[in-house]
Amino acid sequence: MSHELLEQAWGAVRGAQRRGAQGARAAAHRVRESTLEWRDGALDRLQESTRMGLEVALFVDGRYSTHATSDLRPEALEGFLDECVAMTRVLAEDAHRALPDPARYQGRFQGDLGLMDEAGVAGSTPAERRRLVQALEAAVRAGPGADQLASVTTACSDTAGERALVCSNGMEGSWRGSSFYLWAECAVKDAGGRKPEGWWYSARRQRGALQAPEEIGREALRRALAQVGAKPEPSGEHPCVVEAAVAGRLFADLLSPLSGWAIQQQRSFLADKLDQAVAAACLTLADDPLLPAGLASQAYDGEGMSAVRRPIFEQGVLRTHFLDTYSARKLGREPTTGGASNLVFQGGERDLAGLLQAMGTGLLVTGFSGGNSNAATGDFSVGVKGMWVEGGRPVRPVAEMNLSGNHLALWKRLAELGNDPNPSSSLRIPSLRFDPVQFSGT
Amino acid sequence: MAEMNRRDFLRGVAAGTAVVSLPALSCAPAGGALRGAGGPAPAGGAYFDPFGVDEGLLRRVLDRALARGGDFAEIFLQHCVRHSVALEDGAVNSATTGVDLGAGVRVLKGDATGFAFCEDLTEAALLATAETAASVADGPQAARPRRFAVSRPPSRYAIAVPWSEVGVERKVPLVARLDGLARARDPRIVKLSASLRDESSHILVANSEGLRVEDAQPMLVLGATCVARHQGRTETNSQALAKRQGLDWITAGRIEALAHRLVDRCVALFDAVPPPIGELPVVLAAGSSGILLHEAIGHGMEADFNRKGTSIFADKIGKRIAPPGVTIVDDATLPHERGSLNVDDEGQEGQRTVLVEDGVLRTFLHDRISARHYKLAASTGSGRRQSFRFPPVPRMRVTYMERGTHAREEVIASVKKGLFAEDFSNGQVAIGAGDFTFFLKYGRLIEDGKLTAVVKDANLIGAGPKVLEKVDMVADDLVIDENGWTCGKDGQGVPVGLGLPTVRAGAISIGGRKS
Repeated sequence: MSHELLEQAWGAVRGAQRRGAQGARAAAHRVRESTLEWRDGALDRLQESTRMGLEVALFVDGRYSTHATSDLRPEALEGFLDECVAMTRVLAEDAHRALPDPARYQGRFQGDLGLMDEAGVAGSTPAERRRLVQALEAAVRAGPGADQLASVTTACSDTAGERALVCSNGMEGSWRGSSFYLWAECAVKDAGGRKPEGWWYSARRQRGALQAPEEIGREALRRALAQVGAKPEPSGEHPCVVEAAVAGRLFADLLSPLSGWAIQQQRSFLADKLDQAVAAACLTLADDPLLPAGLASQAYDGEGMSAVRRPIFEQGVLRTHFLDTYSARKLGREPTTGGASNLVFQGGERDLAGLLQAMGTGLLVTGFSGGNSNAATGDFSVGVKGMWVEGGRPVRPVAEMNLSGNHLALWKRLAELGNDPNPSSSLRIPSLRFDPVQFSGT
Repeated sequence: MAEMNRRDFLRGVAAGTAVVSLPALSCAPAGGALRGAGGPAPAGGAYFDPFGVDEGLLRRVLDRALARGGDFAEIFLQHCVRHSVALEDGAVNSATTGVDLGAGVRVLKGDATGFAFCEDLTEAALLATAETAASVADGPQAARPRRFAVSRPPSRYAIAVPWSEVGVERKVPLVARLDGLARARDPRIVKLSASLRDESSHILVANSEGLRVEDAQPMLVLGATCVARHQGRTETNSQALAKRQGLDWITAGRIEALAHRLVDRCVALFDAVPPPIGELPVVLAAGSSGILLHEAIGHGMEADFNRKGTSIFADKIGKRIAPPGVTIVDDATLPHERGSLNVDDEGQEGQRTVLVEDGVLRTFLHDRISARHYKLAASTGSGRRQSFRFPPVPRMRVTYMERGTHAREEVIASVKKGLFAEDFSNGQVAIGAGDFTFFLKYGRLIEDGKLTAVVKDANLIGAGPKVLEKVDMVADDLVIDENGWTCGKDGQGVPVGLGLPTVRAGAISIGGRKS
């Protein structure tokens, strides 16, 4: 099958060249996905599909454009390429657009990244999916406090896909991957018709590595019940611990200003911070596209450049901007890679309970809502919920509060990382403990 | 994040939440597209050339979809072509196209949905897709598709020249003009990116009850983001015009107004003071503050959440949830608005739905499944999907509050100390708990009834029902926002509109910062 996708991609590249493109890159994919959703003891939704598509980047007479289509009929593809090449010629020239230096295609990792679980795919039958969603619901309903449940929804999904990428200046790659996913969410009854919800999920490349349905269901119920009666606390500066499952929301605000595009467009508060201490010394993390079975692992990046592990922060010092070929050329720098893959953090010594003990009194953040961050300045403001903690123990639920500040100040206040990286995300962040930060409530 | 993580991202958002946001205007979306699908039309009565699918085939697909005992089947065909041209650093130097062609087949058995799609419109692929969707049921065939009766929907967004006939060379000067006008407006503008995106979506819905309807849905978004520098400070602003319109709607006057608003709002931020911390009375300005309605009440009215019993509004039909004088509408009928629909994605005619009438909750927003669940004669025409790759769910269209009787100045003057909230960029709601947030990009402080210092970048948070209860002054200046809002739910994004007159909303908690 990968052979077929490679042929399709090469066909598009050659077709573009025949029409006058000096360079072209093409990607083809085919992904099968099955999802079963179960609600309150009955089948709610069953979905199955195979999606296909072709994406093409064109370099024509110093001009550039990108295109995507799911209409793969040969005669339609011919018309597609005609129009794509013709419209590119109308654009302004851009001397910075180019395919990567072919040297960057060399040295590609040749081993097995563990992305495809053939046995897991074969074992994902309709009957097995049904068993899993029922086991998830049973686990929610078996937990302590289940008599307060208003509704339970569970889901199970699996995908198996293949992708091919080729570049006219000598790059060819293909890979196959699977992913498996279990989900439970529930709503419980609270005063005034309020129905706080709780969710938990597990996502892996390998089916056998999924968290047990029993644990997922129990955790979803626990999280919903923990929000019963939640209220805002008074505004103030408080220490806080951010749970691993949601901490990625806070860290993700740093990813946009790390991109070459934001830096070149002067929309990055991290543009001039390379090799400077941006965060506390406890923050060390790397971008690791070669992580075995990683959710974002791949031996080459979206431009075909061979993937390598890169330090992003070392003891709080920023080490890498994400520069694709275009932004690097515009900035007069060497490209790194266009974006993050798996972000792997150097964890700390303690688990979540240990972090709460170390904090003593403050806020445990278990969820974020809305909010935004100004990539040009680092000013951010985001809604939070969680638990008020005293003596290292959660004592009452909190909701409708905001956490605000500037990222350049926030990450300097990072006091400690937990030993509990989130394995269900490519942003494998552990729980975080911060020295006092600004919360607003009543 | 890499492609395989998209699902990770979509699902990583907490369950039971829905988000709405403005597009990252400067990043033209991957996808764009092309001409179509024009395969040879089958002999003998093809009526919708782009699909090359005739009525006989539609009936065979629906029949196969019902073969295992489903009680309703539907096929949704879509051909969507998107284009964008983008400007960066003074030159219109990139473009995208995206073509989506495919069919989604849905089978219902009671409340349960079987759904499958294919991107290959051959008979074999369509029948196989129907068989997959049919497996939601497990019995003998119980229903047969009825003969089609073609419906003719109203026309709310016809355009003179379809986007498929507009070449890139006609779009480039418009984007360049926006850039030139914006840069000329203020010398402190150091960067500007802009794009013109257009979309032509053709849909055909046919179902086993004999409905067959087609619609052509155009869309345009002209948007820009600018960066200004002054005395070591950097500020940014984004603005857009989004409509179901054609190229000729983008007049010189509209481009100029967009450029001026983009720049003026940006450089005004140089004078901004830190936003206040904690609860303060808030006056919502006319326009994008309509996000309050979208988050605080709109999602809670979507009947799928109510059918599941997870909405905070589940048992509030017929009850007072806002003071008299507050009427909230979700409307598909406004001409050329981004969220307007001639027909929804289940083939039902788009309509105007009064959610809250003079403070009393009147109805939820229904799709077919929820209408049947609640034993209603018909849905509210609210069944929407991102594309043929998704089953429809109840969604908003253009959500706004009807105008009141006060003057804008009167509302502002009534507040001694508070926040006048003008521009918002995104929001989110937890459906069950009712907590909602919306992010303020630009506002002013109110001191002694007068607008004073500029504030920016603060998250506002509150409990939806409580905030609505406190709306006590509504002005007569309703504005439907023209920025291009996209609402995300269930991993599906759909274009929506929102609007509000100037409103006094009582105290809301503001996520401010110390200086």
